[in-house]
This record gives sequence, structure tokens and C-alpha cells, in this order.
Amino acid sequence: MTAASDGGAPTASPSALGPTRDRRGSPIPTFSMIATRFMELRRRRGLMITLVLVTIGFPTVFLAIRLLLHAVAPKTYGPAGGYDIYTAMSAGVLYTFGFIVAATLGCTAGSVDLAEGMFRHLVITGRSRLALYLARIPAGLAIIGSLVAIGFAIVCAVCVYAAPSKLSYNGVTVPAGLSQSGLQTWAADNAATVVCNFSYDGSIAGNVGCDNRPGQPPSVVTQGPTGQLVPASASQAKAAATQIAQQDYQQYKRQFRYPSNSLMIKTGLWLELEATVGFIVGLGLGSLLGQRTTAVILMIVLEVILTPIAVRSRIPHFINAQRGIVGVATGHLEPGQLPLAFGGGGRDYRLTESTTTAICVILAWLIGWTILGSWRMMTRDA
Amino acid sequence: MKSTDVVASPEQHGGDGSLAVETRGLAKRFGANVAINGVDLLIPRGCAFGYLGPNGAGKTTLIRVLLGLTRADAGTMSLLGHPVPKHRDVALARVGAIVDEPRFHGHLTGRQNLQVLAAAREPAARSRIDASLERVGMLQRADDRVSKYSMGMRQRLGVAACLIGDPELLILDEPMNGLDPAGMHDMRDMIRSLVAEGRTVVLSSHLLDEVQRTCDAVAIVDRGNIIRQGPIPELLAGTSLTLQVDCSEPDRARSLISSTNLAATTIDVEGDGLAITLPAGTSRDVFAEVARVLVTGGIAVYRLEPVQASLESWFLQVTSRLGDTA
Ligand SMILES: Nc1ncnc2c1ncn2[C@@H]1O[C@H](COP(=O)(O)OP(=O)(O)OP(=O)(O)O)[C@@H](O)[C@H]1O
Ligand SMILES: [Mg+2]
Repeated sequence: MTAASDGGAPTASPSALGPTRDRRGSPIPTFSMIATRFMELRRRRGLMITLVLVTIGFPTVFLAIRLLLHAVAPKTYGPAGGYDIYTAMSAGVLYTFGFIVAATLGCTAGSVDLAEGMFRHLVITGRSRLALYLARIPAGLAIIGSLVAIGFAIVCAVCVYAAPSKLSYNGVTVPAGLSQSGLQTWAADNAATVVCNFSYDGSIAGNVGCDNRPGQPPSVVTQGPTGQLVPASASQAKAAATQIAQQDYQQYKRQFRYPSNSLMIKTGLWLELEATVGFIVGLGLGSLLGQRTTAVILMIVLEVILTPIAVRSRIPHFINAQRGIVGVATGHLEPGQLPLAFGGGGRDYRLTESTTTAICVILAWLIGWTILGSWRMMTRDA
Repeated sequence: MKSTDVVASPEQHGGDGSLAVETRGLAKRFGANVAINGVDLLIPRGCAFGYLGPNGAGKTTLIRVLLGLTRADAGTMSLLGHPVPKHRDVALARVGAIVDEPRFHGHLTGRQNLQVLAAAREPAARSRIDASLERVGMLQRADDRVSKYSMGMRQRLGVAACLIGDPELLILDEPMNGLDPAGMHDMRDMIRSLVAEGRTVVLSSHLLDEVQRTCDAVAIVDRGNIIRQGPIPELLAGTSLTLQVDCSEPDRARSLISSTNLAATTIDVEGDGLAITLPAGTSRDVFAEVARVLVTGGIAVYRLEPVQASLESWFLQVTSRLGDTA
């Protein structure tokens, strides 16, 4: 340390300042507070590598392999895009893991100042503690929002540019864009394929079913007078296929060769909403607990255990509590009725609720956790 | 410190801005453990003030309460004339502080850490970063990650973090911690130069020698109580004086002096001589009288030296006396 006041150090005799005009008591964070917080988070190398791997790396590698396999052996491996890939990548991977990494970032932003001893220095500046808390929100959202956007853009690009030329429904190539009667006509013409491949809930008139024994081509059968299986007549098979197509039309209608622009925009916004919820809840929980590990574990338990249970089950007397779980509400807002994250498949077992309820639940979580987290930060001993 | 009025009396200063720090009846307890016990502290502007006490005396706690890092249970306080915690944002705008051993974000460089802190201060703080780093001798290492810093380097960075706010008042909790001898020397020089610029520096320490060398005034605390406060020369003036006498036949010398009517408090035989404790303000004539009595009594006097108690021995004396009665 040089005692001499060289190098233009702050040596000027301190002015007899009255109340300074820098509004540091204001709860609104300044741009440079947000910018330096962004810098602080972005330079956490291990965390950033994890975030990038999950949101961008995983979809990229998965889709690249699909593209490559299709290019090498187009007969064995279908195109990289398609309905199933789009839904699995968006409603599955980016939805669930986007939430988890956003929550991890939130828990980090909410707890590290305290853990790393920086909280004290920040409080000593006289800056409003609420402003210190609020500065973390745009900084963290800028990081997680852009990562999710990049990952999702890659999924969209592959799904649009490597879309299959035909629609595949339940593993069967079906013409795209048929009307209900069109699908039923097509089903009657392809009765064996439809009866043996399409999903159906309930029993088909005339006890018609599929004989799908290994070693022989699948055929449409029915029960003979003595109970043994006999080949169904052509009209029986057609009637059964038409019945199945009628029930499957709603499901078929959602399918696409490639996602429409409006579906992509809605899905993108929905993924950003889920990541925002993950970040803000994580931030509040991290700040409340004051340490990262427990907070991250609780967030993962919420997302991969509690939420799937609440989404799929109807616990008597607890339906409203189930609806109060944020994942149930964001699941409700899912655009284009994409299949639920974590499989599900086939029928939709989602709990019913109104969109207003869902939006209120989400807002309550965002605001509630921000109040909890900032309250803890304002009252905590530094 | 040249001023004689280093520690103002309460009557002289109302709640105006002439005091850098003022506390009245400040108290803080952790459960049954009283960390600060009704502290009245008056620190005038423009001096280096030492807050001196043994481990666990409540030094760090007092600093934390002053800075609003934790709440006081009772009492009032003001910084730079602004009552806190009511106007802490205005007060802290001109305060820089290190509390305990300073820690930073390890994954960021020293400079980046200062940028984070400057962003929370006024816009001009960012422009003072380089000058502050230079002043604490950290400019060369400013772009290394803090996780690679030594403890002394973090301490210096902590001081730089104080300086970016161009503070009128610096509160440094054990600033010599982790510094090598050269670093301590630099730190002492820097504190003096900060005071020369008109700033006030409050430092806590249990290194008495350091406080004696660096500070103009001192408050001595133990178990949350301020035992004494005032300018160092004044405090020392109140301490007793020891006359060290090297002589032959110490036992006979002792009885010779006891038989005179000298105002000695105690007379101890120490090795080859005597240690005669005299009250504060004893005149030089008394030394001559001691020499005369011994020589007339046929005792050979080899050396006779008055020793003023150091702050350290005085401090030990005061705090241990308090410890006995507890
Ligand atoms: N957060 C806390 N919770 C409970 N007790 C505390 C806390 N902080 C301090 N104390 C207690 O308050 C007393 C004063 O502690 P403080 O840290 O202020 O001492 P100090 O003078 O700074 O000591 P040192 O020289 O060791 O730094 C101690 O008895 C300590 O145990
Ligand atoms: Mg301490």
C-alpha cells in the first residue's frame, strides 16, 4: 500500500456532503447493478456449462444424431423432425430440464452472496436490500431465457427443415390434413392396419380385434360361434376401422408433419414461462434458506416427484391443493395440447381447471416467492 | 492527532455533524450473551480511533450494529451526523467498512468484485476502482481471481472496496489481520495518510501496539463495556510510573526506602534490584530522593530508570482487573 497519495487515488479531502442524491435507498435496481449481477452469474463456469449442456447441448446432440442416421440409412431411421420429436424435445426435455436448470440458477443467485461473504459488502454500500434482491431477477432471466430460446430454436429449426414427408400416427403412415370423414374413409380402406395399430379405448362392435401373433402378418379377427378366433368379414373389419378412426380423430388432428409458426411461438413462450417460474421460485427459496444445495434438491423434488403426481392423480379433498401446485398450472397452459412432459401418452389424464385459475396460481407463486425471498434478505443479519 | 479534544464530551456536541460516530446506550445481546452493554461512544471527525479489546469483547458486533448488518436491542446511534438505521442509506454513502476477514466472489477477479460493489454505490464509484487498487498495492494482481489471493491480499482488496466510495469515515475491523510486517507498515502509513486527507478512520484491534502507533485516541472495551476512552497520551498520563533500580543488597535497600516517607505505592524486589511503583504525575525530584537515600545508606546504585507503563500493560491491567471481579 502506498501511503503517498499518488496515482490519482481518491485523495481529495472528503466533501462535506449532505444527503447524497444517488437514491440508493430506492427499491429499484440500477442498470449497472443488473449488468454486474449478470456478469457475476455468467462467470460461474461450472454452472454455465451445465446450463448450456442441458438446454442447448442435449437437444443439439440428440437431433444431430437423428439427422446423421437418417442421412446414412434413410430406410431404417426416419427424418429428424416430426411430431414426436417436437413434443418430446419441447414438452419433455426443455420443459422439465429447463425448469430444473432455471431453478438451479435461481437458487445460486439467491444464496451465493451470503455464502461467499459478498452480502456484507453490498449491504455496507447503503443500497436498498430490496433493490439488491430485485437486480438478480432480470440478470438471471436474461441468462436462462436466452439459453432456453437458443435450445428451442434449434429444435424448431430441425423440426421444420427435417420434417417427414408423411405423417406418422401410431407408427402408421397416414395422409396429413384429413377431415373426420376423410380419416374414416381412409381407415375403411386400410382396415387391418388401423385395427392392429391405432389406439382405442372401449370395446369394438362385433368383438372385432387384431390377431397379431408373431410369424404371420397381422389380421382382423372376430369370435366365432364356439369362441375360437375366426377371420372377420370385410364389412366387419371396415366397420371396426371406421369406429376406431372416429374416436382417434381428435388425437390425429393434433398431429403435424412440422409445427406451425403459431404453435412454435406459443410453445416458445410457454417454455420461457416455465423457466421464469423455475428461476423466480428458486431465487426465493435460495434466499429464504440461505444456501444452495438444499434449495436445489427441493426444487427438483417439486418438479420431478410432486408435480407429476399432482398432475396425474385426483386425491379426494385435495384437488384444490393439487391445483395450487405451480406445475399443474403451467401444464394446463401448455399450447397445442402437446402430450404431457414425462410420457403420459395416449389419453390425457390432466386435472381440469380454468385458465384463469392457472394464471392466478402462477402469479401467486411468482409474487409470493419474491416477497418471501426479499423479506428474508431484508431482515437477515449480514 | 494534534487536537486536544480528541474525545468530545457529550455536552460539547449535540447531534450535529461534528462527530463521525456517536452512540448512546447501545446494547446488543445474543441470547443470554451480552455482546454490547450500553456503549456510549463519541468519535470526532478527522482522527484515527482505535477500538481496543480482547477476543470476544464485542468489537465486531459493535461495527455490525453501526453498519446496520444486525439490529441493536437498545440505544441510539448516528454516523457522520445522520441517525441510523433511519437514514442509513445517506450515512453509508460516505462510509467504507471491512467487517471481519473480508471475503469476495472467488470466481471473479479483484477488479470485477469491485465493479459489483461500485454498481451498488454512486455512479462515480466505478471510476475510482483503478486508483483504489493502486493505493492498496493491488493493481498488478487486480485481474487474478480472488480464489487465488492470499489472506493479506483479500484484506487489501477489502480496503480498496472501502475506498471506491470516497468515504469520509472508514471502519476497519482488525485491518492488520493477515498482513506481513511490511504490509502492516504500509497499512499504518495508509491509515495516517487517510486521516491526513481529513477522513476519519475507526479501527478495531487486539494488537495494542498497533493501535498505540496508529491511533490518536482509543476506547478500551471488555465484555461489551467501554472501560476507558480518550486520547492516548491522556490515558497514559493517568497510569502509574515504575522506577527500576539496579542495586546491591536489594532487601536492605527496600527496607531503607520503606522507612522514608516516599509516596511509593509498592516496592518489589526483582532479581538484582527493586521495582518501585509511583503514582501518576510523580515529579523527578522523587527519583533523586530515592538515589540519595540509597547512596547514603551505603548501597551501590548501578542504574535508576523511570518506566512509563505502555498501553499494553495498562490494557492488560485494566481488563484483567475487570476479569477478577466478574
Ligand atoms: N451471531 C452471533 N450469535 C451469537 N453470539 C454471537 C454472534 N456474534 C457474536 N457473538 C458473541 O458476541 C460476543 C462478541 O463477539 P464479537 O465477534 O463482537 O467479538 P470481537 O471483539 O470481535 O472478538 P475478536 O477479537 O475475536 O474478533 C462473543 O461472546 C460472541 O460469542
Ligand atoms: Mg472480531
